[in-house]
Amino acid sequence: MGSTTTKAVLLSDGKLAGTHAMPTGVDLAAAADECLRVICRAAGVGPDRLAALVATGYGRDRVTGAARTVTEITCHARGARALVPSARVVVDVGGQDSKVIRLDDDGMVADFVMNDKCAAGTGRFLEVMAARLNVPLEEFGMRWRRAKEAARISSTCTVFAESEVISLLSRGVSPEPIIRGLCDAVADRLAGMVHRVGLGGGLVMTGGVSRNEGVRRSLEEKLFAPVTVPEGSQFAGAYGAALIAFELGEGAEMLPTFGRGCR
Amino acid sequence: MMHFGIPSRFWQMVGQAAGGAARQTATRGARWTVVRPEVLLRWKLAYKVASAALPLLEARGAKAYQVAAIRCVLSDFADAYLGRKPCIFTSAFVPTELVYGLGGVPFLPEAAAGLAAAFGLAARSLFACEALWYSPDLCSFHRAGLGGAASGLLPRPSAVIVTSHLCDGGKRSLLHISRLAGCPFYMLDVPYIPSDRATRWLASQIEHVAGDLARRVPGLSLEGLAQALHRSNEALAEYERVSALRRNVPAPWRGSEALNYVLLFLWSWGSPSLAPFYRALRLHLERTIATGDFPVRDERHRLLWLNLRPYYDTRVFKHLEGDRASSVAFEEYSFAYWPSLDPRDPFASLAEKMMSNFGWGPIERRLEALERLVDDYSVDGVVQFAQWGCRQSNGGAAIIARELRKKGIPFLNLDGDGVDARCGTEAQAITRLGAFIELLDARRGW
Ligand code: SF4
Repeated sequence: MGSTTTKAVLLSDGKLAGTHAMPTGVDLAAAADECLRVICRAAGVGPDRLAALVATGYGRDRVTGAARTVTEITCHARGARALVPSARVVVDVGGQDSKVIRLDDDGMVADFVMNDKCAAGTGRFLEVMAARLNVPLEEFGMRWRRAKEAARISSTCTVFAESEVISLLSRGVSPEPIIRGLCDAVADRLAGMVHRVGLGGGLVMTGGVSRNEGVRRSLEEKLFAPVTVPEGSQFAGAYGAALIAFELGEGAEMLPTFGRGCR
Repeated sequence: MMHFGIPSRFWQMVGQAAGGAARQTATRGARWTVVRPEVLLRWKLAYKVASAALPLLEARGAKAYQVAAIRCVLSDFADAYLGRKPCIFTSAFVPTELVYGLGGVPFLPEAAAGLAAAFGLAARSLFACEALWYSPDLCSFHRAGLGGAASGLLPRPSAVIVTSHLCDGGKRSLLHISRLAGCPFYMLDVPYIPSDRATRWLASQIEHVAGDLARRVPGLSLEGLAQALHRSNEALAEYERVSALRRNVPAPWRGSEALNYVLLFLWSWGSPSLAPFYRALRLHLERTIATGDFPVRDERHRLLWLNLRPYYDTRVFKHLEGDRASSVAFEEYSFAYWPSLDPRDPFASLAEKMMSNFGWGPIERRLEALERLVDDYSVDGVVQFAQWGCRQSNGGAAIIARELRKKGIPFLNLDGDGVDARCGTEAQAITRLGAFIELLDARRGW
């Protein structure tokens, strides 16, 4: 359960059987229920057939019937590793926070850092700027490519950066360099975090912002290293949770509490 | 309400009284000024009532050591607020034996800030400090201390003593407090590199400060100095037994509570109330170990905690000790690093105590101490509470993390704030601690 989007991943015999994403909204428990209902229906699985349910993300404690709650750090590590077996560093950028996770040779979390105290370097930062620029987030990648240079955004505080964007627009700067500047600002923060856990080995990006090509490319430029964004990267955390649930479900038979989330 | 290591019901009552009074003041005007916290703290009757209530607390289940701690705090607060003894403000690492020995009562604005946060009174002091143009990147322990002094919440100091070592905010904020109070200000300049000459130089400064205070502040004299050092040694002997008992696996004491008692650890060396408190605590720990009634059931992990903790109400420790069944086995700030003092040579002895602070000098000193604590307390992970604005503690985090990891000890840097709830996010702190425990679980194959 992310701050912006609630995602569900369903596994059957350890294989992907369905995914679903929807806005989290204000009622977290209801969003979790709805997400599970939809994914179960789409897969033609009765809620009572769920062998195990694991919840993760900022709303993880609001998921009814979860056999276990696991932090998004562990889940993203599991999910990213499963999606990209060579992954050693995972950069996860979600709606309200970002984290960088270093994995050991066995794919276990060896170290992690999270952004602190503000929305800089998160999806929320980009959302606010997209609204101010009146450019859909999906277009950021294309506009980034078109930009010949990056406008300088010196503040990483969302509120101050927004006023910088306004002043750039008022000076007649077109959206493309501003978008590139914004992606650079996010990538600056992320690169600092990557260096804190240590750059080395496969670098993988997950979370909603991983779909933003502009941020990915800015990050590659800052780190002088390729960043892999696997298919389904925005589901990596939910996928990791599902993998943990699969392990829990194995040998657990039908645990009586599971499936209550699909009322 | 967080209880600062003292029976929560007691603090709840006092806190509600103080907070309630403050609220009433805001809504009903000057009619209620008589019960504002700063007024309540200066009421003789309040201390009489609180002291009389102590046996009742014990009868209602409070532990003997908790009651002893309240007695310790009440006695010093009464001395300070009622003006029974000259009140000397000090920064956190000044040896308080000096103040007790001179016949004064020490008052540590930083520690009082933690107490104010526990009572829900810190916000007012923080605002008062901001009104003095202090930036929020000054450590909130100092901001709340300075704001408390400016707004009249703290007693009036007769003098201020600070040290140059470790905490940099203390020097400046306490200088400001001394100016507000119009009282003498002393700074003990602690040499960075230990040597006999450095210790002698520091000892001569302490001697000068003591002599000057005895001359300038009525009620102070050098007579009780040796006695204060004796009392400090007596407390240290008890404390070493407490520390040895805390090596027990599982932990016999909640670290979240131990972190509250850092207040006394910083404040009370040389006080007659400290040894009885540690004695009562030792007996409690011995009983806990004998009965097996450990506070964290089925302890999964043992952590070493660096720096302080949030003193306002927070779910962080409930999550750690309850949901995650992990103990804070020991705390950096609970480590008694100094040798026992020599009452025949008090100034040199106090200088040596200050110089032996493992947080001062090259980072290797702190590292060595932490590695020792990791071994002694069978710790499997280290958490650095990265207090917003605390340069002395946070500055070495990267090196400490790297060196501990080399030894296979995972390290977590947990951003937060001990006093100013606006500077930390509880949900993020819980996620980080949770992920750290999951990391420790994975290392054990759980
Ligand atoms: S937390 Fe750090 S800056 Fe704050 S009072 Fe303590 S030593 Fe000083």
